[in-house]
Amino acid sequence: MSLVNLASVCAHLNNATKARLGLTSIPNSNLHLKLCQALQNSGYISSVVRGGPTPPPTHPILGHPTANDEVEGVEAITRDNVASRRLWLGLKYWQNESVLRKVKMVSKPTRRVHLNVEELRRVVRGEEAGYVAGLRSPGESLYLSTDRGVLEARECVEKKLGGLVLCRVL
Amino acid sequence: MSLARPARCLFCSFSRAATQSTRVPRRQFHPSPAQLTNRKPKFPNIKAPGTPKPEDFKPYTEEEKAYLAKEYSAAQLEAVKAGEAAIDPKDLAEQLNERDDPMKINYVDDFSVIEPGIDRHVRAPESNSDYNFKLKNEEDFVKDFGRFVAEMPDDATGADFVRFTDELRLTHGKESNELNPHSALVPDLFGPGETIDEPRIEERKTAAEKGEKERSLQAEEMTDALKSLLLATGYTANQIRDFRLKTLVSHSVVNQTRLGKVRRAYRLSIAGNGNGLLGVGEGKSDEASDAKTQSQYRAIRNMQPIPRYENRTIFGDVTGKVGAVELQLMHRPPGFGLRVQYLIYEMCRAAGIHDLAARVSRSRNKMNTVKAAYEALMSQRDPEEVARARGRKMVDVRKVYYAGKV
Repeated sequence: MSLVNLASVCAHLNNATKARLGLTSIPNSNLHLKLCQALQNSGYISSVVRGGPTPPPTHPILGHPTANDEVEGVEAITRDNVASRRLWLGLKYWQNESVLRKVKMVSKPTRRVHLNVEELRRVVRGEEAGYVAGLRSPGESLYLSTDRGVLEARECVEKKLGGLVLCRVL
Repeated sequence: MSLARPARCLFCSFSRAATQSTRVPRRQFHPSPAQLTNRKPKFPNIKAPGTPKPEDFKPYTEEEKAYLAKEYSAAQLEAVKAGEAAIDPKDLAEQLNERDDPMKINYVDDFSVIEPGIDRHVRAPESNSDYNFKLKNEEDFVKDFGRFVAEMPDDATGADFVRFTDELRLTHGKESNELNPHSALVPDLFGPGETIDEPRIEERKTAAEKGEKERSLQAEEMTDALKSLLLATGYTANQIRDFRLKTLVSHSVVNQTRLGKVRRAYRLSIAGNGNGLLGVGEGKSDEASDAKTQSQYRAIRNMQPIPRYENRTIFGDVTGKVGAVELQLMHRPPGFGLRVQYLIYEMCRAAGIHDLAARVSRSRNKMNTVKAAYEALMSQRDPEEVARARGRKMVDVRKVYYAGKV
């Protein structure tokens, strides 16, 4: 679990939304994939598709790459192509503003921040807990890496899980 | 009071405890009214008497039908009957009653007055339209022509006939409806205070009312600047008088020319209605008073709605940055008050924000603080918009927990 790579992903997402890109790619890894799927579940990004160095073919009707494309399909990972795999993310915009406003790392490669359920409860309520500021704005979320995958802070509280705090999304 | 009662009780009635007064706690620590009574009403809700019931709407009696037959033709009577049959008396009773459904409007309004800025213009106040106009039939045209022939002068020319055809109207009803009909391209707008029932209310006012108004305006001195402000904003002079104006920054500025230093007065004012509108205006002039009025009028012009959560605080924590001033505004629970520095305090007062905390970091320049606070207030994100952008449902939990009684 390389937080160095995750930090560069966060910076890249910020740059991509500022440049108003519709589709962007990040290096493939299990952590990145899970985080992106969590972001997609929260509605921050529109699609997550694993592809090669070039963008995957667009869906004939939807007009953007999709993971469940029946015509083209997603290329399976093999020993030969695993190094060249990338995650292609569809970015969302609403009323001239990007939906994913700002992605910021909470844990750093040199300092990993863990929160337990009690602390997470406080964070979700908007209070500060263990160097993590509370979620105090509408639409703000915090993503944690738990033993049940990458989850949003509120989901973690619901499932009574603690974990490593990855990033904060505004 | 009877004389048989002992004197002690007579005096008791003057003492404080014996008087019937509302119970108010000695010190209130927050502005929301104290809950002194039980939440549950003691009596079940009883509908006020006099509200119509479905039984009140009876079909026409034979007597009434005979009377209607005198007024209306047979075809019209059929239409009346069909109309009566179409409406369920139950619906009629419901419509006439005060609404108690979940979609009711939670304020009392008969919607007869259109407030500029709040309501959109929906209907022309005094339009040329006539909804009861009728097209003339052949008989009417024959009559018109007959009248023309009867009134024709002896030495009639072709020009007379041309004039007759030009002036000939094709419809019965208001003349302007036919000649100058209402156009959607040029809608007639309501003036402030005008209603559908009372169009052009200013023109209809009696001289005494007008004179009174003129006098009060003279006291205020109706300047050209004020006139243009009224014209541009659509507010009345009375409304502008009620706005909360405050001059927050005042200093002099200097322009260095080859002739020397030219000093002018600078003023920064804010304007708000205490209910969600706030504007910031700057003015510069040789005269300090000029600069002040200039800045105030500009502030009124710049007034914009500020999003407020529960009409008391802001949505989320926001930041603003102008120049070296960086500040953060933080939402707070009810009863917290305005724990902010005085410039932001005045802005909150004018805008009608009651619970807020703020932190101004780096520079604390007055002018830039006001501007940064305004920027921060305007940069709030509406949760509804966030929900739509993300395509996810968002629920305000406060409204769920307290059954919407917050």
